[in-house]
Amino acid sequence: MPSSNSDRQRSPGRLWRILAVVFVLALVAAGCGNDDDSSGVTDPTPEVASGGADDSSGDASPEPADDSEEGTADAPAPAPTPELSGTIGFIKGPHSAMEVEFNEQIIADFNSQVAPDVNVEFSTYDWPVHVAELTTLFASGSPPDVQYLVDLIYPAFAEQGVLHDMTDFVNDPEWADERADISPFAWDLAEQQGGTWGVPVLGAVYNIFINETLLEEAGLLDSWDDSYESMLAAAEELTTDDVFGFAARTSAADFAWWDWYPYIHNAGGDVLSDDWTECGLVGQDVVDAMQFLIDIHTAGVTPAIGSLDNQGLFDLFAAGRVAILHHETPNIVSLNENPPGFEWTVAAAPPGPQGHTVMGNFGILSIAEASNNKDAAWEFIKHWASAPQVGRFAEQVNLQVVRTDIIGDLFAENPAMKTVQSELVPRVQGLQPHPQILEALQAAWPVAEDAFRGNLTGEEAIAGMCAAIDGVLAG
Amino acid sequence: MTDVDTGLSSTQLTLSPEEHRRLRRRYRRRTTLTAYAFLGPNLLAFIAFLLIPVVWLFVSTFRTGGVLGPAEFVGLDNWRDTFADPLARTSIRNTVVYSAMAIPAVFIIAMVLALALRTISRGSAPIRVALYLPTLQPAVVAAFIFAFVLHPDFGVINYAIRGLGGDPINFLGDTSLALPTIAGIEVWRGTGFWTMMFLAGLTALPSELYHAAEIDGAGAIRRFLRLTLPLLRPTFYFAVIFATIVNLQLFDSVFALTDGGPVNSTISVSLYIYRSLFLFGDIGFGATLSFLLVITVLVLTGLQTFLLRDRK
Repeated sequence: MPSSNSDRQRSPGRLWRILAVVFVLALVAAGCGNDDDSSGVTDPTPEVASGGADDSSGDASPEPADDSEEGTADAPAPAPTPELSGTIGFIKGPHSAMEVEFNEQIIADFNSQVAPDVNVEFSTYDWPVHVAELTTLFASGSPPDVQYLVDLIYPAFAEQGVLHDMTDFVNDPEWADERADISPFAWDLAEQQGGTWGVPVLGAVYNIFINETLLEEAGLLDSWDDSYESMLAAAEELTTDDVFGFAARTSAADFAWWDWYPYIHNAGGDVLSDDWTECGLVGQDVVDAMQFLIDIHTAGVTPAIGSLDNQGLFDLFAAGRVAILHHETPNIVSLNENPPGFEWTVAAAPPGPQGHTVMGNFGILSIAEASNNKDAAWEFIKHWASAPQVGRFAEQVNLQVVRTDIIGDLFAENPAMKTVQSELVPRVQGLQPHPQILEALQAAWPVAEDAFRGNLTGEEAIAGMCAAIDGVLAG
Repeated sequence: MTDVDTGLSSTQLTLSPEEHRRLRRRYRRRTTLTAYAFLGPNLLAFIAFLLIPVVWLFVSTFRTGGVLGPAEFVGLDNWRDTFADPLARTSIRNTVVYSAMAIPAVFIIAMVLALALRTISRGSAPIRVALYLPTLQPAVVAAFIFAFVLHPDFGVINYAIRGLGGDPINFLGDTSLALPTIAGIEVWRGTGFWTMMFLAGLTALPSELYHAAEIDGAGAIRRFLRLTLPLLRPTFYFAVIFATIVNLQLFDSVFALTDGGPVNSTISVSLYIYRSLFLFGDIGFGATLSFLLVITVLVLTGLQTFLLRDRK
């Protein structure tokens, strides 16, 4: 029909006019929208308690707690507080396949010893997408009351006002002894941006696994970690058709920067400058450290860059095909449960020109600003962070604790973890808990990855990484 | 046949012009309302789940925040940042290169398979099922299958390569191979779907034209070029537009297999949007990139509509 044809011919023009009007209205809406568009969103500015974090962090009673001799199992149970009631949610990333069962133990103890009328609903997030999951939960306006957050991500959530400033809670005089049992460096990580965003509970150290049998046969067991040069020489000597002398993660998907960090820290550098305003990868020592890492990855002593993921590298070590492997302590469980056909142990990276550090991440227990039951949430956090509970959990999942009072009692039958806890943890230099630290690392890492493929020198790589980091900070 | 006695005289059956117009208006109104009644739910869904979000997305391109904290008007900052961001350019380039590899490849393979299937008169059902099975695999499952197939140490392909005396190929870890490998996986997943699509189009073609062409002495290639391809224009029209829209949204296989690596060689626009929005909380930047993707899809669709329009 003629009329319908002409309608069809006119309709695109009309559609564009309608769309143009819609976009103009949208522009007007955007222009008018710079108000505090916070419907359903909590006030992003956290209230900083009088006294502030600085007053409380270092000066809390340093006296050792009396219960330090009581170990992890015999600590006296606090009196139940029946006035607390209601339901609180608790979410955490799994550190073990039995994560739910281990946390149900903690919750059962909480109900029997502390708050019988508080129902704790435990759930887990997936580590690979945990930032997205947590963002969605916070954006919903009804996140779980308590979250286990790692230092890599909590600062961004704190900055956006979705975490409760726990300064008042952690400065409770009745909790002073417990507070003093947690290492000051851990509190430093939890106290940022003028607030206290959680109670530090666990640490994950990035150690080196070594195949003692191979190193001993080569006569290198006592000398491989004297210096970077000796490690490279050892890796070259140990590399055969079947064995790689050295391996470390190289891809951003595997958070490869954890294995890179100790070399940068040992050179006196860091991702950010001391005042966190620009790139901190400065100085010849940092360039040399990067050049060493490039050299060891291009010396033919590692698997092909990008060929194996995190688990693939560890499996290769467990099969006796890697002599020196950067990895994580939870894999000690795997080696203990399925002993490989060789002797192995854990170690730190060799010392650098300006230090001998170990990289570690730390996790804190935070309260959501949107929580309607913050008192119950705080009681639960105190319970989770108490010596018996956190100590038992750390042993169950092979993570480190940040409480100084129970170190001597932990991992009595796990020599590798004992070594990690007593020799590596004291050397830990963690990351800078800047709100954009994850973005900075994600932006800079592809440059390092490219360098490890032999495409850049140490100097070029550091320059490229700094450009990426400064770009993030400027954005 | 017998006449039906309606009991009415011819004058009683004749409508006056006024009554005729009234009835015609009523009929039109009724059919229009019926059409709107059926279209209404879809229209509401379109407005609620597409039009409003797209408008909101556009508004968000001029703001920062707005998800976990309050929104703040930033003018054209997000647009400037997006066009100045080298990773945004890389992600756009990767997505375009990927689409340029995957779409023609899957169309050619699917067309060849469809033409072959059309010639099979018996026993084609099992082959069709086998061809379609990869399409039924969720992207993540397909990604994990290929993680094992392509693994440099124990993957089937490298096992075969080593067996033939070659060096293993680092398919997903090599910057020059990773994107073509992802494209290959997506071609594998999509071949079944497009084969069935083209087969349906071929089956619907009028056979008498082919018989006439055959009698006139046209060979198979000539028949394909002069008959099949022109007659399949509507099918191609849909296929090109749909494939472009789907492929520009490349996400799941990259997310599961490479996470954008190595060295950002497989980062796609959708993956970068995901990172900006959910990893870094950069809502304005992510919204701007998302809006650019929407505009790109619209422009390409319009261009394809123009190029593939029926020129009578």
